[in-house]
Amino acid sequence: MLNPPEVSGTRRNVTAAAVIAVALILQVSVANRLPLPGGVQPDLVLLAVVALALVSGSMTGMVTGFAAGLCADIIPPADHTLGRYALVYCLIGFVCGIASAEMDRQSLVPFFAVAAGALAGTVLYAGTGMILGDPRAGWDTVVGIVPLQLLYDVIASPFVVWAVLRVTRRFERGERARGDRLSLPVARYRAMSGRGGGL
Amino acid sequence: MKDTRRSRMVLGVLLAAALTMITVDYRGGEDSPLRGLRGVGAAVFGPVERASAAVVRPVGNTFDAITDAPGERRRADRLQRENQRLREQLRAARLDEDRSAELRRLLGTAGMGGYTIRAAHVISAGQGFEDTVTIDVGSRSGVRADMTVLSADGLVGRVTRVGPATATVLLATDQASTVGARLEGSKEIGYMRGRGRRGLRGDGSPLRFQLLDANAPMRVGQRLVTLGSQGQRPYVPGVPIGVVERIEDAGAGLTRTAHVRPFVRFTSLDVVAVVVAPPRSDPRDAVLPPKPSPAPTPRATPSGAPRPSTKPTSGN
Repeated sequence: MLNPPEVSGTRRNVTAAAVIAVALILQVSVANRLPLPGGVQPDLVLLAVVALALVSGSMTGMVTGFAAGLCADIIPPADHTLGRYALVYCLIGFVCGIASAEMDRQSLVPFFAVAAGALAGTVLYAGTGMILGDPRAGWDTVVGIVPLQLLYDVIASPFVVWAVLRVTRRFERGERARGDRLSLPVARYRAMSGRGGGL
Repeated sequence: MKDTRRSRMVLGVLLAAALTMITVDYRGGEDSPLRGLRGVGAAVFGPVERASAAVVRPVGNTFDAITDAPGERRRADRLQRENQRLREQLRAARLDEDRSAELRRLLGTAGMGGYTIRAAHVISAGQGFEDTVTIDVGSRSGVRADMTVLSADGLVGRVTRVGPATATVLLATDQASTVGARLEGSKEIGYMRGRGRRGLRGDGSPLRFQLLDANAPMRVGQRLVTLGSQGQRPYVPGVPIGVVERIEDAGAGLTRTAHVRPFVRFTSLDVVAVVVAPPRSDPRDAVLPPKPSPAPTPRATPSGAPRPSTKPTSGN
């Protein structure tokens, strides 16, 4: 029932990397330039990390989160202490990955999980800024931004989650005759941990 | 259980790596040992961003054209009228061209600012709490850190990091940005702090001006220009910044604070100019609107060569 882990692992990693790269580029060159009310934009990279973690489990979630965060830290217009997004996205990826094991196949659950992940990510990022004494992350600013950011993230999340599910499902389907898009990776993850427990 | 333990270990390693990076970068400040990593980011993502901007721009323009059709119509009418008027003026101007040339030499402010600029497009913008943008010129075009960035309307910000083909600009509205400023007319000085443009806030103005002399006169509607930094970097003098919109009650403070509306619309930045060589002398507020643009130079084509400042020596 399980696929050979080598092949699927590589393909999954490639897919995850592609999703993150696309999300990063869209974030800086499209999303951040949208003149939305309040001047806040949805965080597509965070949404993509959360979606990938929900699909692929905590290991992929945190590694993807770390890599995506590091890229978000060094992609040109970024001007903050290096490593902040890496830390935040890594944690979010891990937590959402754990949550994926608990998730059943009801199709609404991922969207709530994404909203929760977005909230946690925004608050954590603001928190690291406050700890480091970032002049931009003052209390007034954070209070003004977080609710709007959350709102926009929730609005954008169905599109991002849908896109990520679609991309990941396509290669799943290629390897295996139609499986449920969410239950398959979760089942595999469970099976792997179960098998690991025997060792 | 093995998998969980392994994943926890990986998590621990990654978190430690992230925390180490934060610490090293934070302690290092500007000379952080990790700036090489940022350089890699600029070298790798810069060209990608340029390419993606090239794809996105026409789409955005089309979208703007559709949503703003009535506005464009009005604009076309207005431009047509203006064109007519200008043509008249030009005819008149040709008559006293000689005299005006003489006057210009006399005033010594030909081309007003006399900035030597390098025009650029904004290709991407920052997220989170920062007000930063990337522009599509870099060290290959002679752009260096701490150069002033302006648009046809006024001050945009300063260059903070430079990649081979891109540069990061810290906008004047960023909360980490402070610009020395001078009031029009009275020449009183103070400093301009960014307040950020993001989030829900009651008062809209993204800039605060603090007048150093609390007793100096300041009134609503006064305009502000940059004071200029030492060595004219990062800010060259005489760039229009904005207009005083509201003055806060003095209270117990030692300085008076004014809310400033910037001349530049930061939400729709597109063509900007980097000052690669500053003017030879402080143009003071000669650059202020109604002739808002510092010289006709910023209207150069995006890839235009920097114009040598052919300004006669000025009198001040």
